[in-house]
Amino acid sequence: MIDLFAALGHGFSVAATPINLLFCLIGAVCGTLIGVLPGLGPVATISLLLPATYALDPVGAIIMLAGIYYGAQYGGSTTAILVNIPGESTSVVTAIDGYKMAQQGRAGEALAIAAIGSFIAGCFGTVVIALLGPPLALMTQKFASPDYFSLMVLGLVSAVVLANGSAFRAVSMIFLGLLLGMVGMDINTGEARMTFGLIELSDGINFVALVMGLFGVAEVISNLEGVSTRIVNHSKITSIWPSFKVLRGAWGAVMRGTLLGTLFGILPGGGATIASFSSYALEKRVSKTPERFGNGAIEGVAGPESANNAAAQTSFVPLLTMGIPTSATMALLVGALTLHGIAPGPTIISRQPDLFWGLIASMFIGNAMLVIINLPMIGIWVRLLNVPYRILYLIIVVVCAIGVFSVNNSSFDIYMTVGFTALGYILRKLDAEPAPLLMGFVLGPMVEENFRRSLITSHGDPMVFLQRPISLVLLLLSAALLISIVMPSISKRRNEVFQE
Amino acid sequence: MKSLAQRGNSDFYTGLLLVVVAAVALLYIRTLTVGTVLEMGPGYFPLGLALILLGMGLVMIVKGLTTAGVPVGAVHLRPLFFILLSFAAFGLLVERAGLAISIVVQVGLAHFASRETTWLASVITAVALAIVSSIVFVWLLKIPVSVLP
Repeated sequence: MIDLFAALGHGFSVAATPINLLFCLIGAVCGTLIGVLPGLGPVATISLLLPATYALDPVGAIIMLAGIYYGAQYGGSTTAILVNIPGESTSVVTAIDGYKMAQQGRAGEALAIAAIGSFIAGCFGTVVIALLGPPLALMTQKFASPDYFSLMVLGLVSAVVLANGSAFRAVSMIFLGLLLGMVGMDINTGEARMTFGLIELSDGINFVALVMGLFGVAEVISNLEGVSTRIVNHSKITSIWPSFKVLRGAWGAVMRGTLLGTLFGILPGGGATIASFSSYALEKRVSKTPERFGNGAIEGVAGPESANNAAAQTSFVPLLTMGIPTSATMALLVGALTLHGIAPGPTIISRQPDLFWGLIASMFIGNAMLVIINLPMIGIWVRLLNVPYRILYLIIVVVCAIGVFSVNNSSFDIYMTVGFTALGYILRKLDAEPAPLLMGFVLGPMVEENFRRSLITSHGDPMVFLQRPISLVLLLLSAALLISIVMPSISKRRNEVFQE
Repeated sequence: MKSLAQRGNSDFYTGLLLVVVAAVALLYIRTLTVGTVLEMGPGYFPLGLALILLGMGLVMIVKGLTTAGVPVGAVHLRPLFFILLSFAAFGLLVERAGLAISIVVQVGLAHFASRETTWLASVITAVALAIVSSIVFVWLLKIPVSVLP
């Protein structure tokens, strides 16, 4: 316990330096911004800002990128409540009761509860990272390569669970990503492979070009295909301070949402979106007056908003302790860490204590900043919705282009972005999500390395993956998870969740 | 026989895409040493992946041809073409003509991607972006590119 406080204290001394406070603030503001603006998700934004972090030291970079992710959870609720447009997929359910409340003139109440719930959940989630991180990392350090391989398999299967639509197609996207991850140098011989003779590909496909194309630019193109709607904001915010009665009504929902979200964030295949949907369902079930849901029930805002924030926070646990990303955003952070020369994995906590504890401390600070950014300054964010997309997309494409270029200062990466944008566009049209592809791409080299090492140590016996207990358990978990998606009854429920 | 449009053609085309990618990959993997389980060469793992991808692609093609499925989404060529073109132009120009001109050209091409853009707003955006990016990226972040030719 004393160690924990000492470590946290060290973390605060790292996070509270003026420069890191500034990065934390920039991250929180950018996160809120993209949360508010529909059609610009955290994956696209983090990839946009990734190149800008090269010049920073790794701690500052990660603090900022993490701030964008959890900040987006705050911002997403604002537009969901005020104008019935969820800025993020995690705020879809918030819009149901939140917007009703706004129509009834209770917008301020809903916003305040969403922010307070998010803050409590965010802080709780952060405490969980601090408590679970070190023991989990110690445990993972005992893993041998077969165990790692199986852990990666579990991570990849979780990407299938998160993907919308056909599970078979999501699995095929993982393999496509794994194959793309093979491009570049062979780890053992240093031989160039699948580079098509291009020297630019000898270090592998540029991560930023891939992400920016698949997510950022392809998203802009799909947005341009739709007819833009002018957003009209009718609701006036009278008071942002909720009455005691409202607070008491929301309290239980905040607590339940926090616990639910914390759990979903850590579990493979969980994540913030599913956490918020589950929390809404749970609140409706435990409520004595379920008929109020859909008509402006405060629990319908408090629960999901707490759940998505807690999950956003605790999804850092698998990343920081085992090096396994559980979502596309976390896969991006793996890429960011790697670009800064830090191998994500169980050694982060012991080798990079500044990074781990500094990040945790910054999460407390960031969550506090977000409450201030969101509540008193709400009017500014709402006004941002008036920036028309016809100007916004021009800014996005230019920043994307400069961003990709600045990674290696090479035009080749821009042409790569063109290619991946086309691929991302085609995949969208074919109803195949690019998120599993990204997970496969990021994990590909690690999967191969551990696979090859496992078979070398076992003298070519593939049974090694089933003989080691840890590996067996992880593979069984993956199998169970896969079966649960394919099983008709559960997959039906999963579809309902996505369609609601 | 039903026409392709009525059948599950998004499965068919996803399968086709995967088969093409796998085939191209296999073509290149031929030049690599595959090795054995005991001594895996650089080609071993990619070969496995490409074969799995090929198999999955073929399954999807068959599924797409035999069952009705999700239709392919409507394709709008205008935004796709102009956004891609604007990026290619930026890539071609940035090292030759400098950042400012590249940005103005990129915005000029991207302008056509949407029917809702107005020339006045786009020109102001282009100039503002050129100035701000030159300050932020060239002057502050010092990316090695000149502002003007």
